[in-house]
Amino acid sequence: MILLALSLALGLAMGYCLRGRRLLKVERLVLGVILVLIFSLGFSIGSNSEFLTVMPSIWLNAVVLLALALLFSVVFAKAAVKLVKI
Amino acid sequence: MIKYVLPALVIGVLAGYINNQFGVSLLNIVFSEYIFTFSLFLLLFLMGLQFAADRQATAKMRMAGLKMLVFPFAVALGSILGGFVGGLILGIDVFASMGVCAGFGWYTLAGPLAGQLFGLKWGALGLAVNLLRELVTIATAWLAAKLDRYAPIAMGGATAMDTTLPIIVQYSGQDTLITAFSSGFILTAAAPFTITAIAALAH
Repeated sequence: MILLALSLALGLAMGYCLRGRRLLKVERLVLGVILVLIFSLGFSIGSNSEFLTVMPSIWLNAVVLLALALLFSVVFAKAAVKLVKI
Repeated sequence: MIKYVLPALVIGVLAGYINNQFGVSLLNIVFSEYIFTFSLFLLLFLMGLQFAADRQATAKMRMAGLKMLVFPFAVALGSILGGFVGGLILGIDVFASMGVCAGFGWYTLAGPLAGQLFGLKWGALGLAVNLLRELVTIATAWLAAKLDRYAPIAMGGATAMDTTLPIIVQYSGQDTLITAFSSGFILTAAAPFTITAIAALAH
């Protein structure tokens, strides 16, 4: 987690040196890296046989809990944004 | 963007599944550990670079200041309340369902921790709810951002600092980077404590 924050901080510091420039090559590279990241996330899910085997028996509970958690999160966050005017 | 992201996810899951059938653990480690971690670090670096180079985005962040700390607090509260209401509706252990939702999308933590604190069945549910949270955020961020630009950040929960961050920024705008990252960071830091605290309340 600290390393993640450090990567971001390093990027921020370098970006600060390049202020005002439009970084077209970086935009393309970001899309490429996102796809690699999502693919490898999918790969680790697909390899997780434990998850795939329990999924059918608990999916209803999982879907209901997730739907409500998402709903309340979004509503509360929206209220927070309005309240403090982020 | 989503037209590339979803196929990448589906192909990844299929590739992982097929690989698992053949039992090639080396490929699994290479993708799930090394490539995943490396691309995550690279992505955060590149996104920081893009953000800091963008004068408009940095100006907006300066205006928001400390107020954005309220955001993850609201997301945490909403997630736990969602678990509470869900537990009541489904007629299952309310504390355990709150604990499961308090993983905020961090499935590698919430699964094992819920399993340990509430029992094995809850471990599986913890894994499912939080993994699905990440997947649903990736798949529907484009739509959620149209309804409310902060909605994808709230949906992403703890994952807003890593896996869902690029997707969120893509649809909610460059200037949401720091709000999303800090929200994800705080929720990631909070998740182990919230799950454990809820378990302590239950016993």
